[in-house]
Amino acid sequence: MLDFLFSGWGAFWVTMGMLLPFAGMFWYVIHRKSVVDSGPGTTPPATLSRLEGYWLTAVFVIFVTINLASLKFMPIIATARAATGGLPVQEVQLTATSWSYEMSTREVEAGKPVRFAGRAKDTQHGFAVYHPDGRMLFTMLMMPGVAKPTSVVHTFTDPGTYKVRCLEYCGIAHHGMKDELTVVKSKSAT
Amino acid sequence: MTIATAIVRGTPVFGRMFSVDKSTGLEEINAWPALMIMASFIWLAVAGLLGLVMPATQMFDLDSGHFYTTLTLHGAALAFPFSFQLMVGVGLHRSGGCVGKPITGWLPAMCFITMNLGAALLTVAVLMGFKVSLVVMFPLPLVGAQMGIWSMNTVILGFTGIYLVLACMILFYPLLGLSMLFFGKKRQDLVLSERSLNDPGMLGMTLSALTLLIAGLPLVVVGTTLLLALYGVIPMSLAAWAADPVVFQYCFYIFAHNLMEAMALMVSSAMYATLPLYLADGTRKLFSDKLANTALWILLLTSVTSFLHHFITFYPNQPASLSYWGNIMSWGTGIGAAISIFTVLATIWQHGLRAEPGIIAVLLGWALYILDGASAIVTSNVAWAYVLHGTMWQSGHTMTVILAMSLMWMGVLYHHYPVITGRKLDPVLGTWFVRLFTVGGFGAAIAMLAGGAAGMPRRFADWNQEGWMFYGNMIMIFGLILGASFVVYAYNLLQSRELGDALGQRVGAT
Repeated sequence: MLDFLFSGWGAFWVTMGMLLPFAGMFWYVIHRKSVVDSGPGTTPPATLSRLEGYWLTAVFVIFVTINLASLKFMPIIATARAATGGLPVQEVQLTATSWSYEMSTREVEAGKPVRFAGRAKDTQHGFAVYHPDGRMLFTMLMMPGVAKPTSVVHTFTDPGTYKVRCLEYCGIAHHGMKDELTVVKSKSAT
Repeated sequence: MTIATAIVRGTPVFGRMFSVDKSTGLEEINAWPALMIMASFIWLAVAGLLGLVMPATQMFDLDSGHFYTTLTLHGAALAFPFSFQLMVGVGLHRSGGCVGKPITGWLPAMCFITMNLGAALLTVAVLMGFKVSLVVMFPLPLVGAQMGIWSMNTVILGFTGIYLVLACMILFYPLLGLSMLFFGKKRQDLVLSERSLNDPGMLGMTLSALTLLIAGLPLVVVGTTLLLALYGVIPMSLAAWAADPVVFQYCFYIFAHNLMEAMALMVSSAMYATLPLYLADGTRKLFSDKLANTALWILLLTSVTSFLHHFITFYPNQPASLSYWGNIMSWGTGIGAAISIFTVLATIWQHGLRAEPGIIAVLLGWALYILDGASAIVTSNVAWAYVLHGTMWQSGHTMTVILAMSLMWMGVLYHHYPVITGRKLDPVLGTWFVRLFTVGGFGAAIAMLAGGAAGMPRRFADWNQEGWMFYGNMIMIFGLILGASFVVYAYNLLQSRELGDALGQRVGAT
């Protein structure tokens, strides 16, 4: 229901949604009680206590709602959905080394889940995939020396050329560590 | 005259801002804090210039090596010898005056020496090529040496510097703070405003010192092991466990995340102590001490394990249960912040406010901290972590928390400055500082968050990709405004007036 929120810009507007009401209330209280009338407030303590209850309840409800709505984006759930979805999971094995990627394939099909399993060979690296329209779809953190590869399951919806970038600072050519993925239309759908 | 007073007096320009007033008999609680605050402003000047160089290297398409050099130096100088040292200086002065104990002996000296010598050594190492970013990105320092990007000597020098800085933050400062709170004899002649641990203004300082000490100890053990191996005291094979990237990174973030939370506890505590002093009706009471203390305890309990959200995108190497735990604990800190918001606003609503620049700086720094908190809990959510981790969003979060705390401590310093130096600051310049800092701080924070939302990578020397330079330009513009606010603040310190003198009569003119 709230899926549209869980993007980069969704995060921005949710943050602004928290900031702006606070900023308005903050400015109002300080202006009112330092410039307009700095005398003691006449609001009864019982009213303030009631307000406190409403405020904390509202914050709690908003926090719980957002976090419940985000549960489906947990990688373990995406993996379970892919496993039970009836569609074959495409596998992309990748290894990151300063400052390039080795990938088992650079072409995947849209509409079918893809499991990216990545390892870092020398130092920490990232593997972030950007939609052709510039949005970041997901990123992975990889560290050398771990037993299991870092993994994400993602289903691409749009064919096109997707950029890949390292988002973990890995030295003087970090900004040059990039690659591309090609997402083609599903062969079974044609 | 103590050695700290002598160093302040002998330092050109900056020494004039913080020369200690010896006429009040309070030199024992003024001298070391004055020296630390002065040193923090010297580092701020360095960090500020480096901060502006970062976007400049991108605008003028300079060598990317310059960007990564300034990135490492700017982050390290801003976070540790500026922000942390400012907190130590002002915080110690608060503690001394609250518990009536002198800030003398070897512990404050070790705090000062380890922080500044460590930061200086790290600076030299970075200038020699050690470009590892603020968070070290282990095992990058060793890999860089293996690849011949920098030498092993720079690694040893850099690690020595980092180790000394950590020794100040994890050992000497918490031990000094705790020893002042729990040991030694109170002297009535040093008591400025007596407080007990039931007071929110003292509780946060205690919790903060304990957090730094406890959460930092694993990193001290790892760091000591690595340093001993680098110096050849123990064989490298014995340090293999400490050189494991997962071990290092987890120990690092248990400390680094809690360092920020400890600083938040400390500054919240300072705000709870300072706000009542500026209430219009003179009641000097918060809306509820119990509520204020509850907020501090919630912040402490939830933040200790919330560092796990740093590794959400490391799945399945970090189990999903731990990631979600980090997610929930981070949002739990938001509950503490919500209580804190209510306490502060209800206090002002009930008692009115004398809107002087110092307290307005504290309140606006706190508002900036609330914005930062909102950005922090958002990025620690499991879903958003996957689209924000590694982007400018997180640089914005880190920078904002440091700026927010700096603004709050600079506001608290307005309150302490007359006691330390015997001089008071010009309220007109103070108001301009607050205005400029607020515009620059909020503007830079929002520009960086927007860049992160657009997918702009952090610690990345090519902002021209995908049109991210727009956000870089915005960061530069607001950074210049921030720089102007610091200049105004420094000018105010330089031109401060003697206590008791008529306003408008400058020290320099007398």
